[in-house]
Amino acid sequence: MKIALAGNPNSGKTTLFNSLTGMRQHVGNWPGKTVEKKEGSFNYTGKKIEVTDLPGTYSLTAYSIEEIVARDFIVDETPDVVINIVDASNLERNLYLTIQLIELGAKVILALNMNRFANKKGLEINVDKLSQLLGIPVVKIEAIDETGKKVLLDSVIEFHENKIQNKLKYGKEIEEHITELSNLIKAELNEKNPEWIALKLLEKDKQIIETVSKIQNGKKVMMNVRQVQNHLDKVFGEDVDAAIADARYGFIAGLLKESVKKPAIDKMTMSENIDKIVISKIFGIPLFLLAMYLLFQITFTVSGPIINWINSGIGWLAESSMTFLEGVGAPAWLASLVGDGLFGGVGSVLVFVPIIMIMFFIISLMEDSGYMARAAFIMDKVMHKIGLHGKAFIPFLLGFGCTVPAIMATRTLESRKDRIMTMLLSPMMSCSARLPVYVLFTAAFFAKNKTLIIFSIYLLGIIIAMLIGLIFKKTLFKGESSPFVMELPPYRIPTLKGSFMHMWEKGKLFIIKAGTVIFGAVLVIWFLSSVPFGVEYGSEQSLVGIIGKIIAPVFQPLGFGNWQAAVSLLFGFIAKEVIIGSMGTLYGVGQEGLSAVLHGSFTPLSAYAFMVFVLLYVPCIAVIATIKKETNSWKWPAFTTVYLTVVAWIISFIVYQGGLLLGLG
Amino acid sequence: MMPLAMAREGETVLVQFVDCGKELKRRLCDLGLYDNTKIKIVKNDISGPIVITVKDSKLVIGRGQANKILVGEPKE
Repeated sequence: MKIALAGNPNSGKTTLFNSLTGMRQHVGNWPGKTVEKKEGSFNYTGKKIEVTDLPGTYSLTAYSIEEIVARDFIVDETPDVVINIVDASNLERNLYLTIQLIELGAKVILALNMNRFANKKGLEINVDKLSQLLGIPVVKIEAIDETGKKVLLDSVIEFHENKIQNKLKYGKEIEEHITELSNLIKAELNEKNPEWIALKLLEKDKQIIETVSKIQNGKKVMMNVRQVQNHLDKVFGEDVDAAIADARYGFIAGLLKESVKKPAIDKMTMSENIDKIVISKIFGIPLFLLAMYLLFQITFTVSGPIINWINSGIGWLAESSMTFLEGVGAPAWLASLVGDGLFGGVGSVLVFVPIIMIMFFIISLMEDSGYMARAAFIMDKVMHKIGLHGKAFIPFLLGFGCTVPAIMATRTLESRKDRIMTMLLSPMMSCSARLPVYVLFTAAFFAKNKTLIIFSIYLLGIIIAMLIGLIFKKTLFKGESSPFVMELPPYRIPTLKGSFMHMWEKGKLFIIKAGTVIFGAVLVIWFLSSVPFGVEYGSEQSLVGIIGKIIAPVFQPLGFGNWQAAVSLLFGFIAKEVIIGSMGTLYGVGQEGLSAVLHGSFTPLSAYAFMVFVLLYVPCIAVIATIKKETNSWKWPAFTTVYLTVVAWIISFIVYQGGLLLGLG
Repeated sequence: MMPLAMAREGETVLVQFVDCGKELKRRLCDLGLYDNTKIKIVKNDISGPIVITVKDSKLVIGRGQANKILVGEPKE
């Protein structure tokens, strides 16, 4: 049998899903949408049960992709049972979705979660009464430690076998018209759930109106709908949709009055006490900075040694396979393909994996604990200046570690405009892979002020991002900024299991999707460096050397017109850390002698211009691949590539030529 | 009546009218905020978003949006 999980964000839905399916789950996207789709299965009393985790929503309107995805699934795939998980400490708001699920004709079981917390708040919930008033089974669970899981599953099976029909009351006036319209819909259109269609038409639901208008007899229905709407607008003195929402909340308030006992005075919860400090004027920002510092510190401390193991492991594999192939008399190009191309390529993908996984593990802990929403609140003031809101800071922040998770994290933003703008700006947050370039160049040219120079590069990235953000706000992404409305969930202790699964998913997603693209690009670069066969890999005579010589003049005005710099920047497209390594090869000195050799082709000023260019130009292929995947089009990755390279050229030009004018050359 | 953005921290007020586009109005309604809802202001600094309590949940609302929500004294 097929079941679906529905519920508000932060109601514990994902925790329940993980507890039901364990590792037997599959994460993908809903067809054609960038909304995550989670499916899984498990066996219970000899029955195979397939579960779909619907996106967390507050409602089922046609206003957000998540809500459309959730209700389309229920209408089109008709799951046998929908488990609606609700936060028992916040019933009134949570039941608003429940009511809409019932309207939709779903067979709903209400899973009351977080009862312990509700008890602490002094709430007494009469489950039987609630069940009777709603006309659906109600089960108390505790998703975090699997309390009530068996009872829930038993009632799923039992409910599946019994058919109960439930109906809600909206008040006489609205009900009469719904019946009238649904009779018409039943007669004119072949719809499974005419009452729901009638209700949605009255609510002016754009998706349903569009569907009905397309049908031949739909026009007749729509005419009637408009008449009823006009009539009801007059009766209620407000829009029908507002009146229907009022009716739903009214119904909920009525049933809660009978089934829940509330304490006379609201008790102060732990969350409120914590918030007195965490979002306070005095401690808010210092605590935020501390959290960010810990995020990076832990990520790099833990991933550092793992990256080293991967590098040396891959290096060993590459070398021994080349030796082996040469030993058995394989042609040199094959040995190079395997060694430089295959293992080199795999290596450049794999080194990102530890960073991505650890970062997402910590982020998931921060998110599940409830802190991320507070951080978004604290950052809103700053982000507002470039037309984005608080939530968009998370991707920017991750960008200092690695741009790939930054792009992946834009999913938490609701408006597409905000998402794309954040994707376009986050590459300017200098990722960790660019740091080795700065370290090498500052050591060679600015030995006295190393830290200051590196810091200035990071700062420049943030300033340019802000400026470009302002330009985008006035041009590409004109119009009102999207409204900032967000729930601050109560603080909770995150589960390790949930965070581990989140980390695993993100790592897997990256390896599969980005991996294939990066791998292809690496092979192309290997080919360019090797032909014509017989020349030294990546030398002046190889195709890439020839290309380097052709494009080098483009960088002449920036102060670094030598072909080695041009080629290393080309290689930097694979991964920014490749720049230094390839420079070693190209100058034929290895990384140790590089510092001395650089003095021959760079001045301190052109070295700074080069660092600025590395900071701003096209991010690595993994980022471009991720943008392609997240936007589902080639338009934005292409735009990102071009615009960032142009910006990098212009800023480097200003730095170098401006420096010359000031006599710094 | 005054905009929610002007309400003082710690005050409990009644929503009178939500004066904004359909989409935001619907979203606020989904989150439990509509005409005649009682809300409590948890945090309101001079600038930046404000924090309110609506039906047992805490919401952050941007200042721009908070200017469009008109509130008044709760009826006793």
